[in-house]
Amino acid sequence: MLEAREFPPIFLCPVCKAPQLITSKYASTFLFIYQPPKSCQEVLLGITGKDFTLIAASKAAMRGATILKASDDKTRQLNKHTLMAFSGEAGDTVQFAEYIQANAQLYSMRNEADLSPSAMANFVRRELASSLRSRKPYMVNLLLGGVDPITDKPSLHWLDYLAALAPVPYAAHGYAQYYCLSILDKHHQPDIDLERGLELLRLCTDELKRRLPIDFKGVLVKVVTKDGIREIDYDDSKQVQSA
Amino acid sequence: MADRYSFSLTTFSPSGKLVQIEYALNAVNQGVTSLGIKATNGIVLATEKKSSSPLIDPPSLSKVSLVTPNIGMVYSGMGPDYRVLVDKARKISHTGYKRIYNEYPPTRILVQDVARVMQEATQSGGVRPYGVSLLVAGWDDGIEPESTEDAATMSGDSETKKPTGKTGGILKGGPSLYQVDPSGSYFPWKATAIGKSATSAKTFLEKRYTEGLELEDAVHIALLTLKETIEGEMNGETVEIGIVGPPANHLLGYEGVEGAQGPRFRKLSPQEIEDYLTNL
Amino acid sequence: MSSPFSINGGACVAMVGKDCVAIACDLRLGLQSLTVSNNFPKIFPYGDVYLGLTGLATDVATVSDLLRYKVNLYRLREERAISPQTLANLVSSSLYERRFGPFFVSPVIAGINHTTGKPFICGFDSIGCIDFAKDFIVSGTASDQLFGTCEGLWEPDLAPEDLFETISQALLNAVDRDALSGWGAHVYIIEKDKVTKRLLKGRQD
Repeated sequence: MLEAREFPPIFLCPVCKAPQLITSKYASTFLFIYQPPKSCQEVLLGITGKDFTLIAASKAAMRGATILKASDDKTRQLNKHTLMAFSGEAGDTVQFAEYIQANAQLYSMRNEADLSPSAMANFVRRELASSLRSRKPYMVNLLLGGVDPITDKPSLHWLDYLAALAPVPYAAHGYAQYYCLSILDKHHQPDIDLERGLELLRLCTDELKRRLPIDFKGVLVKVVTKDGIREIDYDDSKQVQSA
Repeated sequence: MADRYSFSLTTFSPSGKLVQIEYALNAVNQGVTSLGIKATNGIVLATEKKSSSPLIDPPSLSKVSLVTPNIGMVYSGMGPDYRVLVDKARKISHTGYKRIYNEYPPTRILVQDVARVMQEATQSGGVRPYGVSLLVAGWDDGIEPESTEDAATMSGDSETKKPTGKTGGILKGGPSLYQVDPSGSYFPWKATAIGKSATSAKTFLEKRYTEGLELEDAVHIALLTLKETIEGEMNGETVEIGIVGPPANHLLGYEGVEGAQGPRFRKLSPQEIEDYLTNL
Repeated sequence: MSSPFSINGGACVAMVGKDCVAIACDLRLGLQSLTVSNNFPKIFPYGDVYLGLTGLATDVATVSDLLRYKVNLYRLREERAISPQTLANLVSSSLYERRFGPFFVSPVIAGINHTTGKPFICGFDSIGCIDFAKDFIVSGTASDQLFGTCEGLWEPDLAPEDLFETISQALLNAVDRDALSGWGAHVYIIEKDKVTKRLLKGRQD
């Protein structure tokens, strides 16, 4: 039996303390897995209700301390009923998301049927997991929101850059997790309608504006229902008073 | 880059036949007869050991081979092809099974693996089919046929543990005997023969085979059948016999280890064969 | 906290009873101290043999998927369900295949051999060394606590109901002393012709 052994220190993200490096203790080659330091400041939020899944993603495109763009869309539509939001290392995010998007569209064309959101989530997980143990892994955090086209059941899948997958009623990535999950823990119910869902989202974004040190330039909000995916006008202009 | 263009030599004739395979079967049918008989408590494999010259040293020639401790095989056809197949069978029983599951493959699994090797030779480029038919005999742990019947007859008794569907298929333990052909097809037999006098030997076996045969009787019948077809003298040197029987713990090489089981497959020594022959 | 085995947290335990075995796991999935999901089971059925996997969540999913594939192929090829012993060796060889870049998981197996009718449990390290045990096997971030509770509560020849109580108390009390495990539990009691799965609510804090 292998004895418990100390792992070499893992570099932690200076901002969110997420592990940046995993070293295989048996490996002659080291297995590097890290989350880029800035990605924890990107906001990804997901909330399910009785017949919808809400996805919100911050509009700021950051590079170092600079905000390059204030109208960034960190989501891609995979098929009629599935939307994927992503954050992480600059180049990887869009590259990976569009690779998944292309494969989802290819599947839909070949089979004249869409993959269900859970099938989609497992496909994405597998792609990310096999990339994880490659020479240069994708460093992408994901949320997959969808409504099953057959059962009309809404779903939300949380997937981190290590390819850990969890189906959840509500989820967040990066710094937003620490503020929003506790709010949603208190207020979320599985049978809420879209109106209530947007109220909860407002609670979350207000809290983020109140507490996050960097302006994330508001969020882009999309909702998945059985009728498809649509963007929701979301007023970000309101100033939130700091605590 | 000799393998750049390599086409399968086995191609369909306009009538839908693969003549290369038929030629391979012809090679088998010119080979020395081998036979196998399945008994309730074991299997016997027998063949004639024919030497082309009186100068050949018979004990150094071996046609019946052990593949795993519980599985053995014999052939009719081309000796060199057979040796290659024995090597591959032994290797695959480890790489494809024992190294993964830490147990030896059941007979059917091994037969399928060998059959795959032979089939691939009918479809690959630059190769010819194997010129042998094999008889593979093996014993599988699991629920033996008798106890299956017991469970069926005693189905009224709710206390009896009866094998469920989950334990079906080849979890069925006990002896099994397979023939594998150059085409890669395989057949399970109660008793059969391959090689030059296969037809007459099979007719003979049909007459002598009975259900509920014991291994001792099976060896007896095997020798009687061989006697019908053999050309030269029959003795311990010219007949080769392999049996799958009770665990041969004396072949373990050690004793005192609880649960250790010797190989079920073993070859009979010339002396043992002589003893059977004198009682014929 | 610098080990990949303790990023996501989780605990698993298996126990032997009289003609029965039990296996249980917690339901937490976390990122360090943050809980992401409280519905992340770590026990996977392969026929009537059960495999528990703790460690890095991504590898829990990868290994369980890989073995599902291998066991399904085994069942098709051999036309029989895999026995706990054979699954144990399959898990072992599959993990050792990755000796120099291992999956960060600590698997546990529980099942009853359908030919012998004997209970079987075992555990592994991340590179496939099998730990056969007659009593219990623990794994995960609460393994130290589980050793304590199991050592204190387990006794030989427990009937299925008593085994359920024992394994449940052992797990719940162990995970309550571990910040990275908990949030409810799944408990499987495996008997010769019956498997009972129970969901334990557990402390939600």
